[in-house]
Order: sequence, then structure tokens, then C-alpha cells
Amino acid sequence: MNVIEIENLTFSYPGASVPTLNQLSLTVEAGDFLAIVGNNGCGKSTLCKAMNGLIPNFITGTYTGSVRAGGLDTCSSDVGTLATKVGYVYQDFENQIVRPTVLDDASYACMNYAMADYLERGRAALKRCGLSGRENDYIWQLSGGQTHLLALAGAVSLEPDVLILDEPIAQLDPGHADRIYEILKELNEKHGKTIIVIEHHTEYIADYCKHVLLLKDGKALWKLPVREALCRVQDLTASDIFPPQVTRAAYELKKARVLPLTAALPTTVDEGRRTFAGLTYHINKESREQTEALCKAPAAVEFKDVTLSYRSVKGEPHKIFDGLNLSIRKGEKIALIGSNGAGKSTLMKLMIGLLKPSAGEIELYGSALRGIKRDQLSRKISLVYQNPEEMFIKDSIEADIAYAMKVRGIEQWQERTGRLLEQFRLTGLKDRDGRLLSGGQMRRASLAIGIALNPEILLLDEPTANLDIATRREIIRTLEEMKDITDTVMIATHDMQLVCEWAQRIIVLCGGQVVGDGSRDEIFGNEKLRKLTGIRPPEIFAMGQELCPQAYCYTIQEFVQTFGGDSDGRIHKEAVG
Amino acid sequence: MAGFTKKLSDNLFDKFSMDFLRNQVLKNAYGNDDTVIARLDPRILIVWYLFFGLVPWFANDLIFLLFSFMIVVVTTFLARVAGLVLFLFLLGVFSQTGYLFVATLILGGDSTAIAPLLVLTLKVATVSLASITVFSGLDPDRLSNGLMWFKCPERLSFSISYAYRMLPMLMEEFQNVLLSYRMRGNPPDSATFFGKLKYLVYQIKVIIHAFYPLMLNTAKRSRTTVEALEIKGYRYAAVNKEVKKLKLASLKVTYDDMIFLTISFLTVCVSLFVSSMV
Repeated sequence: MNVIEIENLTFSYPGASVPTLNQLSLTVEAGDFLAIVGNNGCGKSTLCKAMNGLIPNFITGTYTGSVRAGGLDTCSSDVGTLATKVGYVYQDFENQIVRPTVLDDASYACMNYAMADYLERGRAALKRCGLSGRENDYIWQLSGGQTHLLALAGAVSLEPDVLILDEPIAQLDPGHADRIYEILKELNEKHGKTIIVIEHHTEYIADYCKHVLLLKDGKALWKLPVREALCRVQDLTASDIFPPQVTRAAYELKKARVLPLTAALPTTVDEGRRTFAGLTYHINKESREQTEALCKAPAAVEFKDVTLSYRSVKGEPHKIFDGLNLSIRKGEKIALIGSNGAGKSTLMKLMIGLLKPSAGEIELYGSALRGIKRDQLSRKISLVYQNPEEMFIKDSIEADIAYAMKVRGIEQWQERTGRLLEQFRLTGLKDRDGRLLSGGQMRRASLAIGIALNPEILLLDEPTANLDIATRREIIRTLEEMKDITDTVMIATHDMQLVCEWAQRIIVLCGGQVVGDGSRDEIFGNEKLRKLTGIRPPEIFAMGQELCPQAYCYTIQEFVQTFGGDSDGRIHKEAVG
Repeated sequence: MAGFTKKLSDNLFDKFSMDFLRNQVLKNAYGNDDTVIARLDPRILIVWYLFFGLVPWFANDLIFLLFSFMIVVVTTFLARVAGLVLFLFLLGVFSQTGYLFVATLILGGDSTAIAPLLVLTLKVATVSLASITVFSGLDPDRLSNGLMWFKCPERLSFSISYAYRMLPMLMEEFQNVLLSYRMRGNPPDSATFFGKLKYLVYQIKVIIHAFYPLMLNTAKRSRTTVEALEIKGYRYAAVNKEVKKLKLASLKVTYDDMIFLTISFLTVCVSLFVSSMV
């Protein structure tokens, strides 16, 4: 039975010259776990809003074709009736929560549709989403991951047959991301819900989904079973979607004739173990770390017994740091990692003086931070927020980039602004309001604002969150280019691929303590630390470890070099033959 | 000494940050749901408020006013109102009538001048404290349910609870925009007295400028909220009588409510009795 039937759907937003969805046809069977992939702007979110009837009932535009959800025609049913068939969780899920307490929000829709047992329904939904025991909590007491689960519970409470989630794990650490997917899996398998996710993380697609739909330019290119779909490396990369690292590594090895052309591509580490079983490990000396030289550099920022607590709405203040000691040396490229709520953003706010420690001292180049004038400080150290919108205080990005230089009367600020616009490829967009740019453009603009004053120390909070892979690569490239401009850089992130490709030193925060500090080999090679903090190395690293415990491969190239045989390709002749 | 004043002004600045304001607003709305006042039935409190919010305006009896004032002081205490609200209350009362009272005393006005002022101050104070008790002691949802029972339009009661939901978000956005200004702006040096004045003007300017990004950011965020409300059937519920019944089913008058009303009533009776004896 099909729960979603779409025939020849064409939809364009008012004023748009090209339709966002173009002659799209799709059927989704009951009980499916479908991933929708495609590059930014290909119409994924629009498609999902057409499934739950927001389009065309609430968002209008030019609409032709038909959509049937749970047996109802979306054009002739109202949004309320459709909500009991199709539940929706937004990408910016925190804005979806409208009530102050957890149970209240979970049962709100049921109450509005006059279901007498609305509280029981809310409780049942919370239980399914793993939020039992938090019923009477206020929503601001929840962590990011829990807030997402609450948004999900709000949708589940109406018992819809279909649940749609728009990028459910974009802002979450691996531990919370696993939890969301485990819950979705249970809803799918135990409760027979059809799950549809928009997802960039192909590793999760490989582990949890059953089918994959590839959208391109508003059209459905194909819908295939997950294994088959992820092995279409060319189709996916053409749409800026990267198959799991294991798949790509096997694809590269096949191209290099190291693996036989007939070999099936693996999509998970488990499958990879079989595919790569015949390969041998070669020590790659170049990959060994060389960080000793930096250890002698003078300290740029130093935390001395820093304690900080937040006021809480009820009861005692909440302690974030208790006697934190940490030293950041000049010229280091540091990645700051740890689960959601470990204190990463707080640490950065302390460094630029936006928060003041309740005890202890922070020193910048040897002098106390509290003694330094704001003006001096902002020339030395700069922070780029996680949310680029918050960096935009003027009505065009040109004015935003110029602002800090202009108010300080820096010579030739106009020329410098022009150069920065050029460097970050923003010249064509300079008159636009930052808020109206696409995700990647916004991020580039916020980076340009952050380095406008030529700071010696640059702090970046989650620079690659919420970006598709192509935009993410673009940002990583920009970061590489910036390596020469800024001296000391610190990035707080969940993106372990970024950590592995970019960082020289990794600091792991957990519960307000530094629990790990060292090179990537020291951090990712330490199993105890990985267990304690829930950090997870990139999949390719895990794959390498599975094959040979001495292998430390952080990128696909390293993996291919390490396991691709020696320069003659001697061992593989027979495999190819 | 200079170090001490600097520390003091730093301390004051810390206290009066947006973070502090946000915290106080939340504390005020939801931080005291376990007090005696918060557990009362909202309808009873609204009736109680109709008396103590209106009658003092029309009464001129000093003893009655004093007793009423005592009652609302006790209820304010019981409601564990946040410090900031009390501070604003004191400031408000003083700026309304209190300064006249003090000025009269200093300028040697006799008791005939003071008595009417005292009456006026008591009136303002009583009514304000009664409002504070009700609006800050009750959490916004119970308050809006109570209003709905009295046939206030659904939109009003939803607005109250939604405003409280939005307020922390708005303040968070505002805080972030101000932080951006603090990070990138170049405030004038505030070492001299003239510099301090300039600094103040600068701060006010920044706050005005901050409204543009604040509004746009909030508008962007609320787009999702509007769609989510539609999905969650908010419009549907606004016209459905069944939903209203469901919402109000949670309201229940208990013994505590009766005791509260009785004590207030008896105190008023005593005050009238005493006043007639004098």
C-alpha cells in the first residue's frame, strides 16, 4: 500500500521564474524508511511541505498535479486533517515548539483537535521519543537533542502514519544523532510508521534507511534501495552528495584496479571488512604527526583556574567550568570537540571577554583579559558565531564587513572591504542583506566579518554546521586559505572530518573539564577517551582500525595510500586478473 | 579607591546585562510555580484582583488602605516575586507620588499636607502590588486559562502565553545583536565624566540600531512557528467549543482557595470595623 502518491507535481513560489518542483512523480510505500537527498535548493523541503499539505493550503503558488497522503488528496483536505496523517519536524525545530513545558507542547496538537485524552497521548508520545520523566520540565531546560525529540513527540502525538524530518541531526553530536535515529528506527519497525528524512549524512542513511530518493532541479532522478543507491557514486557526487567514506574508498581502489572491477561496493564498515579483506597494510610514514615544534611557542591565551556558572531559573546556579586550566599557544590550529553542552561555545565567549569568569583569570599574551580595553581586544581576537544571522547588524553585507573598520577609522577601510569581498567571493552580493543569502554565502560573509580587523586569534563556532557537503568543502577551502592570514585559530565543531583534515591539536571537553588534549592520533587512538566522551572518528578511520589496529587513516586518500599496496601495485595483480 | 569603584561599576554592569534581564523574566513567569499563590485557582485570584485592583482607587479611608496594603504585601511575599520586578515597583511608586511625599517632608510641610499624599501613595502601592501578585505569581498559562473562563477572547489568552514563550527568544536575539555591537563597535572612552556621558549616548544609539536586525531575525524565526501553529491546529481550536472545555477542565477550586478568600475578606472586614471605631 502506498502512503504517499505524487503525480506530475509542479510547484513554483510566487515570483519565481523556475518551478521549484518540476513534473515530479513519487510513491512511498507504507513502512518505508526513505532518505531524500539532493543539493541545496533542489526542492527537498518544498517536496516535504507538499506532502503534509502546507503546500498548497497554507503556502500558495502555482500548483499543478496531485498529491495523495494517507489516502487523502492534499488539495481538498485541510492542514489539520492532514496533520493526523503526516507529521513534520522542521530543520529549525526549536521554533516549532510553542508551549513552555514539555508535556504541554507534546499534547498541544491533540488538545487543539479536541481529543479528550490529550494528556495521555502526549505522555505516550514522549515515552516513544525517550523523554519519559521530563514531562514537567520547561523547554529551556532541555538540551538541543532533547528539544529535537520534543518536536518529534509533538508530531508523533497525533499518531500520523508518516513522519517527515528535515535534517534531523544537522546540529547534533554523534551520541545524540544515534539516539534520534534509534528512536526513528523503533517508530519504523515497532510502530509501523513510514519515516521520510532529508539527510546529508550518508553514513546514517547506510545504517538506517531502506530507500533513497535523489532529487535534482525539482525532479525525482531515481528512487532505489539504499545499497544500490549509495553505490551510484557518480550520480550522487554530481549532486554534491558524498556516499559513505567506505564506499568512496572502495570506489577509488576499484578505479586504481586494486579491487576487482566486479567487486560490490560496501556501504558500511561491516560490509567493508569483507570487501577490503584481501588488502594489506603499509606503514605510511608521512602521516605521522609533527607537533613538537609548536609546543615551545609562547602562550596566546591562558586559562588559570577559571570557574564560571550560569544563572538558572530555579535553584542553584549551574556550574559550567570549575577550575579550568588550559593554554593555547601562538600559531596553533586547534579543534575544540565534545558533546552538545560540554562548554565549547562558553569557552570561546570567555576568551573574547563576552563572559567573565566568576573566579580565576584568563590571560591574553600574558596580561589579564579584564584589564584590556574592548577596542584593543577586538583587534587581537575575534569570534564568528555558530549562527551567522547574529553577525549581521547592518542592512548589507558590505556595510557589515566595513562596520568594525569604519568605526575605528582604519585607513583605507573602503579598499580593505573591497578586498575582503573579493577574497570571499561576495562582491556580486555586497548589497544584499546577509539574512537573505544561502547557507554557504552567509557563512562566508560571517567569516569575512570575523577577520575584518585582522585578528591574531580567530575563534570559529561550528563553521560547517547545517551545510551540504559542497558548501562545507568550500568553507574548508576558505579555512585553508585563511591559514596564512590568521595566526592562531580555534574551531569548535562536531565535524570530525573537518577536525582530521584541518587541526593540528585537538582539545576534548567533557563536563567542563579538558579530558583530552593532543594530536589526532592521540585523541582518536585512545579508546577510553572515545568511550568517555562519545566522540567518533570519521568512518574511514574506523574502517582502517577494523582492518589493522596500527592503521591511522583520517582521509580517503590516506586510506587508499595505506591499503592500496606499494608503488608497483604488486600484490594486486592477481586480484585484478 | 579607584580600583574599588571600577570593581563596583563592573559588578553593576554584570548585574544589569541582558542575560540577567532574561533570567529575571523567566524567573518571574515560571520560576515560582510552587508557591502558595501559584497553586490557587486563577479564577479566584482574578476575582480577588478585581477587588484589590479597583476598590482602593475609590476608597479614601486610611485604615482600610493600610490593611489592604498589608494584605498585598503578604501576598507579594508569598508569590516570591523576582527582585527586578520589586525594584521596578519601588521605582515606579517613588516616581509617581513618593518623591512628592519626601519633598513635602523636607520642605517642612505639616501633617495636613502629608496625609493626602500618604493616601495616594498607599493607593498606588496597593494596586501595583495586587497586580504584581496576580500577574507575576501565576504562571502565564494558568492566568490565560482563568481569563478564558471569564469569556475573554481566545486570542488574548493565547497571546499572553505565547508572548511569554517568545520573550526569552526575543531577548536572546537582542542579546546576541548587542554582543555583536560590543565585539565590533568602538565605544567612546568612558574615563572622564564627559566620556561617560558620551558612552551613555553611544549605548542608547546602539540599542536603537539593534532593533533592525532584531526584528528581521525574529521574523525569520517566527515563520516556522506560524507554520507549526497551523499544523498543530491552533486556528481550528480557536473556534471549537470542545477545546475550550478541555482546557478549562483542569481548573478546580479547592479549600486553599476558600481559605485565601476568607482571610482576605476577614481582614477587610476588620479594617472597616476598626475604621468605624476610630
